Amino acid sequence: MSRFLRQFIAIATAVGLLSTVGAQAEPLRVPVLVPITGFLSLEGTSQKNGAELALVGSDIAFSVVDTSTSPEIAVNAFERAVDAAGVVAVVAPMLGTQMLALLPIADEFGIPLITVSGTAKITELGSANVYRFFPGDAVVKTAQARYAVEERGVKRPAIISQTTAYGQSGRAELERNLTAIGASPVLQEALDISVKDMLPVLLKVQRSGADALLLHLHSGPTALIIRHARALGLDIPIIAGSAMHQPETAALLEPAELNGVCAESGSSPVSDDSEEMREFVDAYRRSFDREPDAFALGQYDGAKMILAALAAGAKTADEVRTHLQTASHAGLAMNYRSDGKGNMAHSAVIICYGAEDRVPQIVKRYENLTGTL
Amino acid sequence: MLAAQLLLNALSLGAAYALVALGFVLVLNATTAVNFAHGESVVAGGFTAVALTFFLPPDLRIPGLILLPGVVVVTAVLGLAIGALAYLPIRNRPPVSVFVTTIAVGMIVANGLNATFGAAPRTAPPLIGVGTIDLIGVSISRQSLAIIATACVLIGGLAIVLQRTQLGRQFRACSQDPEMARAIGIRLTRITLLSFAVGTVFAGAAGLLLAHQFFISPADGAPLILKAYIAVVIGGWGSLRGAALGASLIAVFEVGVAAISSQPLAEGLLYVIVLVVLFLRPQGLFGEPQQVRA
Repeated sequence: MSRFLRQFIAIATAVGLLSTVGAQAEPLRVPVLVPITGFLSLEGTSQKNGAELALVGSDIAFSVVDTSTSPEIAVNAFERAVDAAGVVAVVAPMLGTQMLALLPIADEFGIPLITVSGTAKITELGSANVYRFFPGDAVVKTAQARYAVEERGVKRPAIISQTTAYGQSGRAELERNLTAIGASPVLQEALDISVKDMLPVLLKVQRSGADALLLHLHSGPTALIIRHARALGLDIPIIAGSAMHQPETAALLEPAELNGVCAESGSSPVSDDSEEMREFVDAYRRSFDREPDAFALGQYDGAKMILAALAAGAKTADEVRTHLQTASHAGLAMNYRSDGKGNMAHSAVIICYGAEDRVPQIVKRYENLTGTL
Repeated sequence: MLAAQLLLNALSLGAAYALVALGFVLVLNATTAVNFAHGESVVAGGFTAVALTFFLPPDLRIPGLILLPGVVVVTAVLGLAIGALAYLPIRNRPPVSVFVTTIAVGMIVANGLNATFGAAPRTAPPLIGVGTIDLIGVSISRQSLAIIATACVLIGGLAIVLQRTQLGRQFRACSQDPEMARAIGIRLTRITLLSFAVGTVFAGAAGLLLAHQFFISPADGAPLILKAYIAVVIGGWGSLRGAALGASLIAVFEVGVAAISSQPLAEGLLYVIVLVVLFLRPQGLFGEPQQVRA
C-alpha cells in the first residue's frame, strides 16, 4: 500500500470517527417560532419568554425565530427550522392564521407543534400534531359567559370582538355559550385592529340597552375601549377577554379606570400566591424585567411537558407526540391532558381589578370545563 | 348632545390625522416620492414622549404639551436621517427605489422601538389634563380640545411659513419646479432635507397627540401610513389643504359613519368614496390634473 493511500485511509477513518462522535453529540432541538413583531408582538413576546425560561438550562437546543404576522413567514421559518437534525417539537406561533398554515406542513414532517393559540379551529382539523397549552375559546368563553350570567346576573350582553380570525372564533364561542344559558347578545360588533376611537361602538352599546359589555379584543383595543367607556360614563359591568389579564394592558389604564373590570384567562401568575408560582414570577422578572402573563405561563408549561417527555425516554418527534397524546402533566397554571384533539388546557379563571392597584384578584375558578381530566 | 360629542371626537381625530397627512405631503412635494417610513415617524414621536417621561420623577405628572419641544427635536433629527439615508443617495433613481428604502427605514424604526420599549402599547401623558369640561350642556374632553388646538397651531404655523416667508417660497418653488429652483440659486438638497425634517416633525407631533387617548405601539405605523395615503388620494396628490380635508373625511367615517352603521361598513364606504374620487376626479379634490400619481 502506498504511503499516500495509507494517509488517505487514516484521514478518512479519523473524519469518520469524528463525524460519528458529532452525530452522537447532536442535541435534540425545539425551535421557538413566535410573532415578536407586528400587532401580536406583545403576546408573542410572552410566548417566547415562557418557552425560553423553561428551556434555558436544559439539554435542549433552541433558537428563536420571529414569525411576525404573516402565514408565509411562519411557514418559511418552520421549513428552515425542521431542516436541522434532532427536532422533536416546535413552539409554534399563537396567531391562528399562522397555525392554520403550519398544520399541513407539521403533519407532513410529523413534528408536534406546541402553542398557546386560542383559535378554536386549529384543533378541529384532525391534526395529530397540534397541542394547545392555553385554554381554547371553547373553555375560556364558557367561563366568560357563565361568570357574566351566573355570577353577575347579566341578561342582555353586548359583545365587542376583533375582525381577525382570533376575534371571529372567540365571538362565535361566546355567542353560542351565552345563547345556551339564556342570555342572547343584544348587540354584536366587530372592530378592525386599527380602530382608534371607540365612542361610536360604545354609543351603540348604550343605545342597545345592554346590561354588560363582553369583550374579545387584543391588548391595545381592550384598554382603549375601557378608557373610552369610563370617559363616556358607561356604567355597566365590563367582562373582558384574556388580553385584559396581561400586566401590559393594565399598565395602560389608571386604577380608577380599571376598577370593577373583570376578565377571563387561563391563569393569572401575578395574582397567584402559591410558592411555585412566586418562584416562576420571580425568575421571569429577573430574566425579562417584566411581569409574566398567562400566555407566558402556558407556553412555559408546554415546554416543560416536552422536557418531561424527554425525561421519560422520548428521543424522537414521534415519541414526544405519543407522550403529548397520552400523558398528563401537572403544570404551574393547571393540569394538562389532551382531549384527543390536542386541547391540553381545560380550566380557566376569572380575575377582577380593584381601585387601588393594577394587580387583579382571582374571583372564580372554572376547573375541567371539558371533562377531559 | 351625542352628535356634538361625536363631532368633537371626529374633529380631534381628524386634526391628528391631518398632521400626519400634511407631513406626508410635504415630503411628497419635495421629492415626488412616497415616504413609507412616515407611519413609523408618527410612532417614533409617540414613543419619544413616552421616553421623555422616564427622565421625570414618577410622581410628577406634567402636561404632555411640555414634551412637544423634545418630540420636535428628536423627530426632526429622525427626518433628516431618513432624508439623508433613504432618499438623497438614490434620488436620481426611479421612485420605486425610494419606496423600498423608506419601507426598510420604517421597519428598522419599528423593530428598533420594539426592541427598546417592548411590544406593548404605551400611553403618554395627556396634553393638558384628563377629564371633561361642560360647554352648553355638552361634555367635552380636555384631551380632544387640546389635540384640536395644538394641531390648529401647528397647521397655522406651517401655512404662515409656506405663504409668508422666504423659506416657504423656496419650499414651494422646489415642489413646483426643482430644476428651475436650483437654477435660480435655491439649495435643493437643503430644502429637501428640511422637508423631511418638517414632515417628520408633523408626524411626530401627531404621535404625541394620539399617544395618550389612543395609545401607541411599535406596530401602529402601517395603518397610519395607509390613512395618510388615502387622505392624499382623496384630497389631491401634493395638495396640503386637500390632505387636511382627506384626513378629516377619514375621521368622519371612523367616528360618525361608524356610529350609525358599523366600523367595517364605515371602512368599506370610505373605500367606495376613494374609488368614486379616483373614477370621477383622478387628481383628487384639490389636485392638479397634470400631476403624476406615484
